[in-house]
Amino acid sequence: MAAGNGGHSPIHQFEIKKLLPLELFGLDASFTNSSLYMIIALALITGFLIYAMGAKSLVPTRLQSVAELIYEFVANTVRESVGEHGMKFFPLVFSLFVFVLVVNVLGMIPIPGVTFTVTSHIIVTAALAVLVIGVVILYGIYKHGLHFFSLFVPKGVPAPMLLILVPIEIISFISRPISLSVRLFANMLAGHIALKIFAGFVGLLLAGGVWGLLSPLPLALTVALTALEMLVAVLQAYVFAVLTCIYLSDAVHGGH
Amino acid sequence: MSPAPPDQDDGHGELSSQDREAFRKRAEDLGRRLESAKGHGGADAGRRSADAEANGAAMGRALRTSTELIGGIVVGSVIGWVIDTKWLNTWPLFFILFFLLGSAAGILNVYRSAMQVKTGPNNPKAGPSVPDDADDA
Repeated sequence: MAAGNGGHSPIHQFEIKKLLPLELFGLDASFTNSSLYMIIALALITGFLIYAMGAKSLVPTRLQSVAELIYEFVANTVRESVGEHGMKFFPLVFSLFVFVLVVNVLGMIPIPGVTFTVTSHIIVTAALAVLVIGVVILYGIYKHGLHFFSLFVPKGVPAPMLLILVPIEIISFISRPISLSVRLFANMLAGHIALKIFAGFVGLLLAGGVWGLLSPLPLALTVALTALEMLVAVLQAYVFAVLTCIYLSDAVHGGH
Repeated sequence: MSPAPPDQDDGHGELSSQDREAFRKRAEDLGRRLESAKGHGGADAGRRSADAEANGAAMGRALRTSTELIGGIVVGSVIGWVIDTKWLNTWPLFFILFFLLGSAAGILNVYRSAMQVKTGPNNPKAGPSVPDDADDA
């Protein structure tokens, strides 16, 4: 059986490899393949946007119109869910959306032994979610003061009910960064594992003599799953951006 | 150039009347072709992209809803579990209590994201509409 060895394990692709071991203040700050992929993503995004917008022509070139499409798309999302006030958060939402999108799509490009999906590690998505919720809390307190916490106190409810409703509201608020990070991480992790497993079936069937006749089936499924994963990669970036906007709108508009 | 009568405006430029007639025909023809192109591909493509957008948004929401519920339950349970086992040694009192609260929070999350589907995300009142909720309770 060829399945046993580590190289074909479906979770082998998520392994963090240290490229440049580095220790800072007793913490492991090594440059890993994850860091490399993030830097590639940042370089791609920055390079693309600078190159595409370089001409700044009135009649956009193809690349420029792609960049403008992304801008318009995110700007509309922000305006729709937060309102015109929310445009001060546009840089944050745009960066998050494009970063998650590019990192997800980069993870879909198969390079044997190298391909790595940054967002398949919960620490990355959790850090992004903490950033979002941190901005929400800090800006909410800055704008509304302690009044921001009236978010947890629904209006028009008799006092005894508040005893139950306030904890529910607080739990609901705490669950936001968690569901935000778990959603992205779980989708990427599960999708890539499924892809790898079905792709692995092709090899296993081919190695199994007459069973090899069945091998086109998982191959077809892998192709279909790849398309689905591309959709999920884009959709999850969109969902992340939309939810960021919805949470930010709480900070901008304060308690009801 | 022969002076043209001012009320007929066929005198400006160097075009002869045949040239202008041909130009008018060409422009009309182009207009017709543009119209028909819009009628075929244009509307179709517009509808298709709007459909795709709606589909994408709907799928995004579907993917959201599933984790909203779980998020609330997990957070509630973990809070209860920590209070019980790390602080008060009252297992399983607070775990049960916070599991229930967490489930309620999860359902509230789902309710809110569903309301956002109904009223659109641009309505800031769409989300935190707990008063209605409490009236029902």
